[in-house]
Amino acid sequence: MKPLPSFLIHRPRTVNEALKMLSELEKAKPIAGGTDLLPLLRDRVVEAKNLIDISLIPELRGIKEGRNEIRIGAATKIKDVEKSRIIFEKAPVLCDAASSIGSPQIRNLGTIGGNICNASPAADSAPSLLVLDAYAEVVSSKGSREIPVKEVFKGPKRNSLRPDELLISIKFPEPFDTSTMSFQKLGRRRGYTIAQVNVAVLLEFDGPVCCDAKISVGAAASTPIRIYEAEERLWNKRLTEEIIEDASTQCMRAVDPIDDVRASAEYRREMSHVLVRRCLMEAWNKARRLM
Amino acid sequence: MEYANILQDLLKRDEYLIVGKKVARTDALDKVLGRALFTADYVPKGTMVVKVVRSLQPHALIRKIDYKEALKIPGVIRVITASDIPGENQIGYALPDQPFLNDAKVHYVGDPLALVCASDEYSASEAVDAIKVEYNALPSHLTVDSALASDAIPIHDGGNIAVKTRIRKGDVAKGFKESTVEVEETYETPYQEHMYLETEAAYAIPEGSDKVTVIGTMQSPFLVREKVAKILGWSLSQVRIIQALTGGAFGKKDDMGPLVCAEAALAAVLVGKPAARIYDRDESVAYTPKRFPARFRYRSGADSEGKLKAIEVEITLECGAYANRSPFWLWRQTAHAAGPYYVPNAAIDGKAVYTNKVYGGSFRGFGDLAMQFAAESQMDRLAEKINIDPIEFRLKNILKTGLTTTCDQLLDHSVGIEECLRRVAEASNWSKYVPCKEGSRVRGLGVGCAYHGISTSRGTPDWSACSLILNQDGTFTYRTGICELGQGSPIGHAKIVSEIVGAPLDFIHVELPDTSSTPDAKPTHGSRGLMLGGTAAADAALKLRDNMLKVAAEMLECREDEVELKGGEAFERGTPSNKISFSELAEELYARGISPASYGFYASPKRYFDPETGLGVNYSVYTFAASVAEVEVDLETGETTVLKVWPAMDVGKAIDPLMIEGQIEGAVSQGIGFALMENLILEDGVVLNPFFKDYIIPSALDTPEIAKPILVEKPYKHSAFGAKGVGEPAIISIVPAIVNAIHNATGIRFNTLPITAERLYDAIRRSRQ
Amino acid sequence: MEFSFILNGKRVVCDISDNQTLLDLLRDSLGVTSVKKGCEQGECGACTVLLDGEPVTSCLVLARRIEGREVTTVEGLVDDPKMKSLREAFLEEGAVQCGYCTPGMLLSAYSLIRSNLDPTEAQVKKAIEGNLCRCTGYVKIIEAIIHAAKKLKSE
Ligand SMILES: Cc1cc2nc3c(=O)[nH]c(=O)nc-3n(C[C@H](O)[C@H](O)[C@H](O)COP(=O)(O)OP(=O)(O)OC[C@H]3O[C@@H](n4cnc5c(N)ncnc54)[C@H](O)[C@@H]3O)c2cc1C
Ligand code: FES
Ligand code: FES
Repeated sequence: MKPLPSFLIHRPRTVNEALKMLSELEKAKPIAGGTDLLPLLRDRVVEAKNLIDISLIPELRGIKEGRNEIRIGAATKIKDVEKSRIIFEKAPVLCDAASSIGSPQIRNLGTIGGNICNASPAADSAPSLLVLDAYAEVVSSKGSREIPVKEVFKGPKRNSLRPDELLISIKFPEPFDTSTMSFQKLGRRRGYTIAQVNVAVLLEFDGPVCCDAKISVGAAASTPIRIYEAEERLWNKRLTEEIIEDASTQCMRAVDPIDDVRASAEYRREMSHVLVRRCLMEAWNKARRLM
Repeated sequence: MEYANILQDLLKRDEYLIVGKKVARTDALDKVLGRALFTADYVPKGTMVVKVVRSLQPHALIRKIDYKEALKIPGVIRVITASDIPGENQIGYALPDQPFLNDAKVHYVGDPLALVCASDEYSASEAVDAIKVEYNALPSHLTVDSALASDAIPIHDGGNIAVKTRIRKGDVAKGFKESTVEVEETYETPYQEHMYLETEAAYAIPEGSDKVTVIGTMQSPFLVREKVAKILGWSLSQVRIIQALTGGAFGKKDDMGPLVCAEAALAAVLVGKPAARIYDRDESVAYTPKRFPARFRYRSGADSEGKLKAIEVEITLECGAYANRSPFWLWRQTAHAAGPYYVPNAAIDGKAVYTNKVYGGSFRGFGDLAMQFAAESQMDRLAEKINIDPIEFRLKNILKTGLTTTCDQLLDHSVGIEECLRRVAEASNWSKYVPCKEGSRVRGLGVGCAYHGISTSRGTPDWSACSLILNQDGTFTYRTGICELGQGSPIGHAKIVSEIVGAPLDFIHVELPDTSSTPDAKPTHGSRGLMLGGTAAADAALKLRDNMLKVAAEMLECREDEVELKGGEAFERGTPSNKISFSELAEELYARGISPASYGFYASPKRYFDPETGLGVNYSVYTFAASVAEVEVDLETGETTVLKVWPAMDVGKAIDPLMIEGQIEGAVSQGIGFALMENLILEDGVVLNPFFKDYIIPSALDTPEIAKPILVEKPYKHSAFGAKGVGEPAIISIVPAIVNAIHNATGIRFNTLPITAERLYDAIRRSRQ
Repeated sequence: MEFSFILNGKRVVCDISDNQTLLDLLRDSLGVTSVKKGCEQGECGACTVLLDGEPVTSCLVLARRIEGREVTTVEGLVDDPKMKSLREAFLEEGAVQCGYCTPGMLLSAYSLIRSNLDPTEAQVKKAIEGNLCRCTGYVKIIEAIIHAAKKLKSE
């Protein structure tokens, strides 16, 4: 292991200040919780001369409920997402994902924006954000854009932001009161660990009929993915175990995992089937209780 | 007379005051206050840093080590290579096959080549990268089969078999002829990393031109001293070793203590400045010794009555790059191959084989953990074939007083395995258990038995020593070379002393081992720390007690046998008001010139052993253990959860039940890790998962319910109060219990560990096809 | 650059380079040795401190970023009744073996019982999942935390 390389820390108070630093300073990189970045800097996988600490910028923190939309500041801690009343009530699938990330110590440091920008295919908040149709608010000194969270992920540990861009917030439309959701994660022990596979689903019902379904699988391809071909199989159907099994099988075909020290591609593929089925069953059962 | 009776008699007590009672550890107070100092805590800011340059090749001849560029880096003070070593460049434990710094050849990825001394981490790390090593690559052996091939090039002179072992008892051919059922299987066990929380560390301070003091993590200060002196080419008296509090050891710090201390000492002495050598986590995981991997071909036979008739076992131990402890490890496996059962006919052959991978070393349970996983799996398989209950089958063959081990050692007392087994069966409601299924989850129950010879094997003499001083204020200073590693042996000694001299536990101050003042007690390994060390403590305490009684009797004006020592006071038994405090007593001893100090010594009884047949008295005594485990398996994911464990152990005498429970619970956790999740992954000899992130060990959330451990007490007649070692046996029985429970739940039996979710899932799927 | 923060209730001023972690600052410059180094990757929890009252792994915190904030270690909680109760329970239950994980473990436990004097076993396990212990198997640690909480509640 190597010691941390040398770099300078800058602590801007406003978004504009931060953007200016990002565009003007040599090899500048945002740092939020640092839980991903510090190990990467040690390993010399990431190079940075200037770290722009975004934790003091008020706009980047906190969870707000707007009109039919929920906004989470990019530098909001995982812990605050996990404990948020709003998230618990409106998007429990994100609450569950957040509480599965790392240990309490990590959740107290790590941020939701960091989890996304780090672009690990196994990022635990990603499947939930994907089924919530969340999008990322990205700005630079040249302007701003909004892209689906899915598009922030470009490849393993590669995000689609330009070096001078900053993720400001993550927003998603408030799910209907009738939506039901589920998140499941498989790891190598019960205690905190990186996911071998993680899955989130969101179902909406019109009476007994499933009118919308969203399925997302993480750690089973180079980025977290939505599996539309499986979702379609649930649309406008009265669900049965057979239909759910069929959709889950579809997911298994759609994923494209790799072999690594955590699991084989084969196991990940099979487990995405199991986890998707379990998530769908759980969400469906929740819905049936509401009906 | 038996030791326990001697004590009982001398102390004239029906019940012990401290021994056998739960007493809070006096040494733990500083630890909860955050004041306990470990090695790295002693190192002042700005101390010279030492780092090791390591081989990147698994097997190669060294052409050149070029460190010219490294020396130009600001902050770099010196680079040390083999030719700078003033003494002998050799650190092998059992065989002289391990250079301290390699200059001719590298044997695994991580083999040490040079030491870099620098003023700080940054320059040291830069220098390590700047050193260029040129190699002539050799074909590497990454499996034992490759190393054993007839045309394999040797890793060390003398070939790729480091050592062989053998036992022949009875007539195996006859035994198999008498058998009606036979089982033959091959088992494999992997590396296991110790993953103690404190990595290896040493801080060396040169004194004048010909002395050095080293503070470090270790298990055997005197072994460390020997190795450091050898490398420096100095006499033992020039080297002073102090063991700092050690943050977990589990065997590896017995191997790593000498290495890390020698690295710091050599740098400090050659540069003439204090030096700190602290391992990074990945360095500790990737390059330092592990539990030895092994393969067992195991054939056993039993008759229709359910009596074991014969076993034939072939053990192939993988040493990795160096033999290190493999001769002892292999012998343990050879000697314990049958498990705690009586077998009339046995043929056991072992060989330890070099490969170009990280080498093996000491680890809790030593060879027995892997061996008894194989033996206990065989027992379950035989029971299944004969169609009798696994516990019933075990009880038919279990070792009892009057029976012999595979080494033909007659066990004449202190054999509690039958009681352990019966009691865990009862506690777990074994006979009424029905494996159940709910959704995708199935549950099952499994049993495992174990025995473990305490301390050294064969004829090797074993002894321990200590010193005890009564200070003028009535407190005591106790010194032992047995180390505190978390297991609490020295505090166990203090309890024994406290019981015998009649002082409250907090009157007894246990000093950290320091080779300049502490008597050599031999290593803290082999579960010998309390049994041997504690018996020496008893000896010291008894000697001092004699002097105290003599003087007290005169001061109290009564007979010696009327004096009672209790609670830090001496008084007349019939007239307790006639009393003096220990401080008064101590002053009187000093004033009269009657020795207030004593030296305790204990030697194990002499043993007969024939190396040719492998028969004789092998270990002086055995600790026995049995466990039942209940597991739940998720058939869809392959995940196994250990729900509950019922452990039992024959400990001879429980000096401190709380501490034994702690040892058992810790062992259960490590056993769960070994059985289910710990998986060191190597590719071309490179460890791919050297951090906690991917070398998974159990966390609090992976902790099962552990029933209150059943402590069986079959005293050992040659140790203080009859105590036997407990540190290691606990881990041995838990692993087969889990494996057998998984079989009970799923019908699938594993011959290879760990049983990760993925492997179990694969097996379930295959079994359905 | 020079900056200040509150360590165990006292303001300290320090001057270190930007790439120093809080762990290094505490151990090397401020002599707070109860904070242990076990991995420098955030994975073992031995370096746990309370940052503004919440447990974090100090090896993943760049020291400069704690400017103006409050850092608490076990040294700062010597007289705290809740910590005292935890310490006693750890000693009585035999929850300490080698002691290397202990200060970090105590801080995670402290952070739990400060807001919950009636924790379930599951809550205790979750609260200390980031503090690995290789010696005890956790059983006595979990029992000790539950006992300490119970005792505090009954007082
Ligand atoms: C022990 C441990 C356990 C972990 N367990 C899990 C787990 O179970 N599940 C999981 O998903 N993750 C886990 N992680 C990873 C990590 O903690 C999370 O991904 C966390 O959410 C990262 O957030 P951060 O604020 O610390 O990111 P940082 O390390 O600060 O940043 C990560 C990357 O994102 C960039 N970045 C951060 N914020 C922004 C922004 N607003 N705009 C642009 N770029 C930005 C940074 O430049 C950097 O490249 C674990 C990490 C550790 C050390
Ligand atoms: S040293 Fe910080 S978590 Fe291990
Ligand atoms: S007591 Fe040793 S690591 Fe916990």
